[in-house]
Order: sequence, then structure tokens, then C-alpha cells
Amino acid sequence: MFDRRLYFHLDWLLIGAILVLSVMGVTMIYSATQSTAPRLYLAQLYALGLGLAAMVVILSIDYRTLADKSHLLYLGIILLLLYVMFFGAVRGGARRWIPLGAFNLQPSEFAKLVVALVLAKFYGESRRHVPTRGDLAIGAGMVAIPFLLIARQPDLGTAVTLIPIFLFVAFVAGLPMRMLGILAIVAVLAAPVAWAFALKDYQKERIETFINPYKDPRGAGYQQIQARITVGSGGLTGKGFRQGTQGQLRFLPVAHNDFIFSAWAEERGFLGVLAALGLYLLVIWRSLEAARLSKDRLGTFLVLGVLASFTFQVFYNITMSAGLAPVKGLTLPLMSYGGSSLIATLMGFGLILNVRMRRFTN
Amino acid sequence: MRPGEDRRIPAARIFVLQVAVVAGFVLLAGTFWFFQIIQHEQFREMAENNHQRELVLRAPRGVLYDRNGRVLVENRHSYSVSIVRPFTNDIDRTIRLLAAVAGVEERRIRDAVARGMAQPAYRPIVVIQDASLAQVAAIMARRLDFELPDVVVERVPTRRYPTDSLAAHLLGYVGEASERQVAADGLRPGAIVGQAGIERTHNRELMGTDGVRTVVVNSMGREIRHLDEVPPTEGRRLQLTIDYDIQKAAEDGFKALGFWGAAVALDPRTGEVLALVSLPAYDPNAFATGIDVATWNALNTDKLRPLQNRAIQGRYSPGSTFKIVVAVAALEEGLVTPDFKVRCDGGATFHGRYFRCHLKGGHGVVDLRHAIEKSCNVYFYTLGNMLGVDRIHKWATRMGLGVKSEIDLPNEVEGIMPSTEWKQRRFGERWYAGETISVAIGQGQVSVTPISLAVMMSVVANGGIRFAPRLVRAYDDGDGWRPMDPPPVLERFTFKPTTTAAVRDGLWLAVNGAGTAGRARIPGLDVSGKTGTAQVISLRGRAAARGSDRDLRDHGWFVFLAPRDNPEIAGVIFGEHSEHGYSTAPIARHMIATYFAKKRGEPLPAFTAPGLPAPTPPVEEVPIDDAPVSDTVASAAVGR
Repeated sequence: MFDRRLYFHLDWLLIGAILVLSVMGVTMIYSATQSTAPRLYLAQLYALGLGLAAMVVILSIDYRTLADKSHLLYLGIILLLLYVMFFGAVRGGARRWIPLGAFNLQPSEFAKLVVALVLAKFYGESRRHVPTRGDLAIGAGMVAIPFLLIARQPDLGTAVTLIPIFLFVAFVAGLPMRMLGILAIVAVLAAPVAWAFALKDYQKERIETFINPYKDPRGAGYQQIQARITVGSGGLTGKGFRQGTQGQLRFLPVAHNDFIFSAWAEERGFLGVLAALGLYLLVIWRSLEAARLSKDRLGTFLVLGVLASFTFQVFYNITMSAGLAPVKGLTLPLMSYGGSSLIATLMGFGLILNVRMRRFTN
Repeated sequence: MRPGEDRRIPAARIFVLQVAVVAGFVLLAGTFWFFQIIQHEQFREMAENNHQRELVLRAPRGVLYDRNGRVLVENRHSYSVSIVRPFTNDIDRTIRLLAAVAGVEERRIRDAVARGMAQPAYRPIVVIQDASLAQVAAIMARRLDFELPDVVVERVPTRRYPTDSLAAHLLGYVGEASERQVAADGLRPGAIVGQAGIERTHNRELMGTDGVRTVVVNSMGREIRHLDEVPPTEGRRLQLTIDYDIQKAAEDGFKALGFWGAAVALDPRTGEVLALVSLPAYDPNAFATGIDVATWNALNTDKLRPLQNRAIQGRYSPGSTFKIVVAVAALEEGLVTPDFKVRCDGGATFHGRYFRCHLKGGHGVVDLRHAIEKSCNVYFYTLGNMLGVDRIHKWATRMGLGVKSEIDLPNEVEGIMPSTEWKQRRFGERWYAGETISVAIGQGQVSVTPISLAVMMSVVANGGIRFAPRLVRAYDDGDGWRPMDPPPVLERFTFKPTTTAAVRDGLWLAVNGAGTAGRARIPGLDVSGKTGTAQVISLRGRAAARGSDRDLRDHGWFVFLAPRDNPEIAGVIFGEHSEHGYSTAPIARHMIATYFAKKRGEPLPAFTAPGLPAPTPPVEEVPIDDAPVSDTVASAAVGR
């Protein structure tokens, strides 16, 4: 199945960086959950193994073949999201999961990949150099359906990560700068409308709290303040493995999940932060290289689509972990606890590696 | 590359993305650098405040002993329940639940919280002092269920006065430091400090040093582990000069006779206070865990004024006890010898006015000794007239009257010892020689505190040395007992031997001869003393006040020393509304008897009611026309 040449064109540096980040995540999960759920890191290790296997499977199939079948995958994921909507497992007031015995499947994580595939296929096969308004509208529509389904779960955080996929792909596909300007204006105008009609109270509260966390330091502002304390108290070298006080004593909530980067900053310090940031930058940089080197527009757009939600989440989560963004249930890809997220992320990198690996094949 | 694909736009835009991503990461790195390096110290401190709690380990106050090592004040453990606000989610819920669990009124807890709100948030607010074991158990059970994560129960040392109200004014009481005290003495808010008595004057030493335990808590407020503990240092132990048995003898005597009043007994050789009584008293235990408002108000508004330490804060007319001062002054000034005689016909005229003696028929010819024995007014009118008010003032002051005794107790007041200078300053008027005649028998403007009369007797007893009475003999800072410095000598002069002998003889006769103080007599002990009466209101005022519910009965004095030669104990008994000086003499007798029984190792005597009849001749009132007014109480004195 694997051509020797393909093997040589694999981006081993990218694979190494991904693996190191994933292992860092596992150690941090281990550290943060020892007193509450001491076996949780094992679940993450299993997910890592599964994800790597899924990555290999994806690598073995030419991305063009996958793109050709993307309309079927798209249909499938819409059905899964509909299934979740009616039959999904409810946790913490949200219906996001399909229970599968040993673990729960979160279809919304995989929806990102499928959306990247259909968008890449749609714009990649277009004969026009620059997408028309009609093309943009169709692309937006393809994003809008899963967006609405996920937002209804409700999981606005994950839903929002679909938007950068469309924007990245459209941008690189040649979206006229004039259109970019119009989009920006629409976004600004839409904000108050969204505030008044679309956002739920708890979401509004989070944004209000972000602007002034000390208004309610014991309530809504708590997480943001604690996140900043957690990061700041880490100092240059950190408090050491399992020595963090904010994460270990649970002043910082969900230190193994949404706030894993704060906990990392506390125990590993600024040096650990630089290492992690460097690795993420390496991963994104090498992926953009893959997009540039791709032999066709389809490959370029596919890489960018996959990379878009990853990059958006990395930036948002790390900003949030420093207490500088409203607290939202957005995990840090590769490091945060979450099997579906890790597997889907690794599959996404499978697609990116796939494009780079096959840049010389026909 | 597929034919027809234009790759220029994507390549350029990917480059834009690459630049943007690098810029974004540089920005993120800069942010973390700012928080983790530049602001690290501030956040480190905040994290520490989050998970570290400093619990104050309250130091036990120093134990107080009597001169024989008997414990007068000690410490016990009590439990106090506090709310730690940083762990509070809903203060109303906490208050309601706590009130229900502990079975106390919700309002009480609410008030305590309201008072504590001004303090920094990390400081626990004590809401229940001295909780019962049942309350503690109920609260701890709820704490384990996470229902009261913000409530802590602490074991704190608490003052205990095993003898209850005995010597209450002397020992004092403790209470939470007021805001003023916190500011002035640099105390921790909520610190327990002495508010009266020795607890207050020696507060600094008694307090000791609080310890600190640093613990790690999780976000639920649960203690995870200790980091550090600085144990508290117990306060200085003090051995008082007080003798429990003599103190008790005095208080027993008052109780048996049914009087309120004051008593002071001094060792004239050292200035040590053997007993200091003020009655009615209060129970200092009621203050130890925070006195409740009702009790405090009751104590404050009580007409009997139980919080007043009469021994050092009550000002009364000295009456005939003042004649001792006049006798010493006349002898020391060399105006008379003890053999100087005066004829008493029941009264005499000075400066155009007739002054009466208390015995209508007169005492006949008396010398100084018998004038003291019989308390002859005419004799002391004569001496006073010879001396003039300023020489009386000089000697009275030397012997401790009209000035503070400088005992180490708070809020002592001084009496009044008139002089020409004093009258000019006070009223802007000159002194009339006729006024001196009243002063000579302790009337007019003269007023004294019980302790100052005790000091005066001590000076007579030791022949001229005035010590500042002292209450502490020795102290122990945990490394063994060390004696205190001797008390300061405020005046030192030596009486002529004849002065001392004559005055003591007179006092001896008053008790053992035909005097008024026979009830203080103890065979073989040569008790010497003098009675006096402090009129509460003049005869004219009495008529005006008739029908009011004020107690208008006179106060009685008895001053004493024993034995006559080389006295070892000197002092005063003040009987509030006891009507006659001799009424309280049995109290002095009981104290003296106890002192000597102890000294000789004999069993302590029980108080016996006086067996003697009222002294003869019967005492008559002397009408006083110009009712003198002292500072606090309208009181005058009548010589007996």
C-alpha cells in the first residue's frame, strides 16, 4: 500500500512535534488528576494510540479519493449530528455525545474534518481563479448547517471553530479584499444583534465577566482571575511536576481540560510555555509549508481547512488560559483531555501529512 | 501542478498567514513573559493567599497566683466558631444553617457578622464564643458534609477565674480590644486584652505572643497539610502580693455583716498589698468569652455601681480618721508634745463661731493620746487652729492624702486636700481661718479614697515611709521566678519617735481602751485603730431629701494597724452606709486575726459577729450648718 517514496516524503519533524505535544498533554493530565481521577491519563493514552492508528489509515488513502467521497462523509456527519440532537447523551446540560460503551463519541469534533474536506473539494475544483459571491454563499451554506446543529447542542465553542475553516479557505482561495472588508463590517454590526437575540444568558455573563472579572471574583469572574494567578505564579521555571497549587488544590477548575495550558504554565513555568508555544508554532508552520508545497489547489485548501480550526483553537485556548479571553468550553488540541478531540486532531494531521507526502504523485 | 491553476494568490496569502501566525505566537509569548516574569511576584503572592491560611494560635495569658502560690486566674479551653468569608458562597445561607445547627438566635450571628465585615476578608469572624461540645459536634458533622465549608471551629485558651467574683476589681477582666486599643497598641483586631485591674495594667506582659500555623487548604477550604507552625508563647506569670485568705477574710466579713464597701490591707514594711476589696463585685468569668449586652447593661446601670472599684475610685469624707494626720502634723511641726492638754466642755469658739464636740458634756481635760482614743473634736479644733490649713495640707500630702497612691491599677482617682492655694485656684477665693477648724476633724472639703487612708496608716505604722502600694511580687517568663523591683518610695522622712509612739498609743487606746473601736480588739495582738464617719448628706439636706429613695445613711470608716509596736499590717475598711465606723471594725479584726493565724501556722479563724454592744457614750449627730460639698458625693463628716 505504501510506496517507499511516500515514506520518504513524510514530514517526520511535524509528526515528532505532534507526538511530543500529545505526550506533554498526557503528563499534565496525569499531574492534574492524581487526586481526583488517577486513571484518567490512561484513557488519553488509549485515545492517542487510536488516533495514531486512524492517522495511519488516513495516510494510506489518497486525499483526492477522500475529497471525492466528501459529499458522502458530509451527509454522514449531518446524520450523526441529527442523531446526537435527538438521542445523544446529556452531560452538564448539553447533548453532545453518542455513548459507545467504553467511550463517548463526540461527532462535532469530526465535523471539522468533514467541513474542511467538502470546502477544499468545492473551491479546489472550481475553474475560477477567484471565488464569486455565489461560490462564497454556497461554501458558507455548507458550513452553516453543521454550525447550527452543533450550536443547538448547545456547544457554541465547537460550532465557532467551523467559521475559521471557511474564512481560511476562502481567504487563500482568493477572496477579494473588498469582500473581506464587508465581512468585517457585517461581523461588527452583527455583534449587538447576536448579543440581544442569539446569546444565552450564561454566555452573556461570560463576556461581561471577561470585561471586568473583579466585578464578581467569587462567581463568574473566578475562573478568569484564577487562570491568571495560575499562570503568573508559575514564574520562570514553574513549581514542578505535580507541585502546582492552583491546579492541584482545584482553585483552577478543569485543569486537565480547558485550562490545561494554565496548569502547564504553573508547573513548567515560562520555559515550559516557550517550549509548548514553539512546538505549536512548528506544527502550524510546517502545515502551512505543506499547504504551499501541495501540488494542487485541493490539497492547499484541505490543509488550510484542517489547520484553520486547529490554529483558531490553539490561539483561543492559550489566550483564555492566561485569563485574557472569555471563558469558553474550547479545548487545547493535542494537550487537553478528550478522546474524540485527540483522535479527530490526529486524523486531521493525517490529512495534512497526506497532502505533503503525495505532492509528487499523480 | 494542474494546468490552468493559478498558484500566485494562494502562495502570497499563505505567506500572509505565516507572518500572522508568527506574530500571534510572539504576542502570546510576550503575554506569558509579562505575567510569569514581570508580574510573577504579585501572582505568586495571590496564589499563596489562595492556598495558604495563617491561623492564629492564641497565646494563653499568664497565670496569676497569690503570694502563697494559690491560683487566682488561669486559662481553660473554649471553642469558638468563626466564618471564613473567602470560602463563603452565600452568607445568608451560612448564617441560617449555622443558627439552626447550633441552636442560637439568627440575629446574634447576623450581628456578629455585621460587626466583623469591616475587617479584612481573610480574617475569620467569630460568631459563637465558648460553644458547647454539643454545638461543636453538630457543626463539625455539617462541615464534613460540605454544607458549611466556610465555618471553622477553633480551640482557644480562655480566661478562668476560679474564685469567681473574689478580688474582681483587683484582678480585672479581659475582653476584645477596642478599635482605639488596636490602633494605639498595635494589636491584632479581635485580640483579647485586659480591660480592668491587673489584667489591664500588666496586659502587655500577660498577653504573651500569639503563634501562627500556616496550613495549605484546597478550594473547598479543607486543610490539606501543615507547612509551618510557630507555637504561641504563654504570657508572663505573676505572683501577686495578695493573700487569698486575707482577701477572703475581708469579703467574708462584708458578706456576714451585710455591707457593701471597700477594704485595703498593706504590709507597711514593704508597701505590698495584702488585700484589696471593693463590693459589690462582678464575676469576671462573664467577660472572658465576650459579655452579652444584657449583662453589660445591667452592670452599667446598676445603682450599686458594681464596676466601680471603690478602693481607688470612691471619694469620701475621711471624718475622724483625719485626726491622725492632724496629730502627726502638730507633733512633727513641734507645736505640741504628746502631753499637750486641752479642756473640752462640749464645744469651743474659734474665729467667732462656736464649734461643737460630739459629746455634749465634753471630755474634760485630755492629752493627745486620749484625744485620739476618744476622738475629741475640741482637741483637734485647737491643733488645727494652731497649724493652719497649709501645714495640715503639707503633712496630709506627705502621708498620701489628696494624691494618688500610685498603685499599679488603672483609673485611680485622687482625693482633695484643701489649702489656701487650692481654694484660690479652685474658687478664686481666699481661705478663711474658720474653715481650717472643720478641716481639722476631716470635714469641709476634705475627701479621700480608701487606698489613700490605707497608705496614711501604713506611713504611721512604718514611721514615715510612703511606698507606692504594689500588687506584684515576682514574675516568671517561663525561665523561673524573679522578684520584682521594690516599689518606689514616694516620701521618706523619719517621724520623731515620740510622734509615732503617741499616735500609736492613741490608736491602741481607741481599740483597747475606752474608745469606739472595741470591736476590733484581739487579745494579745495590740490591734490599734480609729473609726470615722462620713456623712452622706447634711442635716439640712437630709430634711430636703426625705422621702426620696436615696440611701442617706452615713458611711463608716475604720483604719487600723497591728500590732502597735512594729506593725506588720495596716489598712482601712470602708462600709458604705454602715452608719458607724465601729460597724465594720469586726471585718478588720477578722483580717488581722487571719493574718496572724496564718503567720503562726494556726487554723484560720471563722468570722464571728461582734459580741460587744455599741460603744458608749452613745453617739450623737453634730448639726452642721454649712453642708460641705466634695467632688462626687455630697458628704460631710462628723467626729466621733
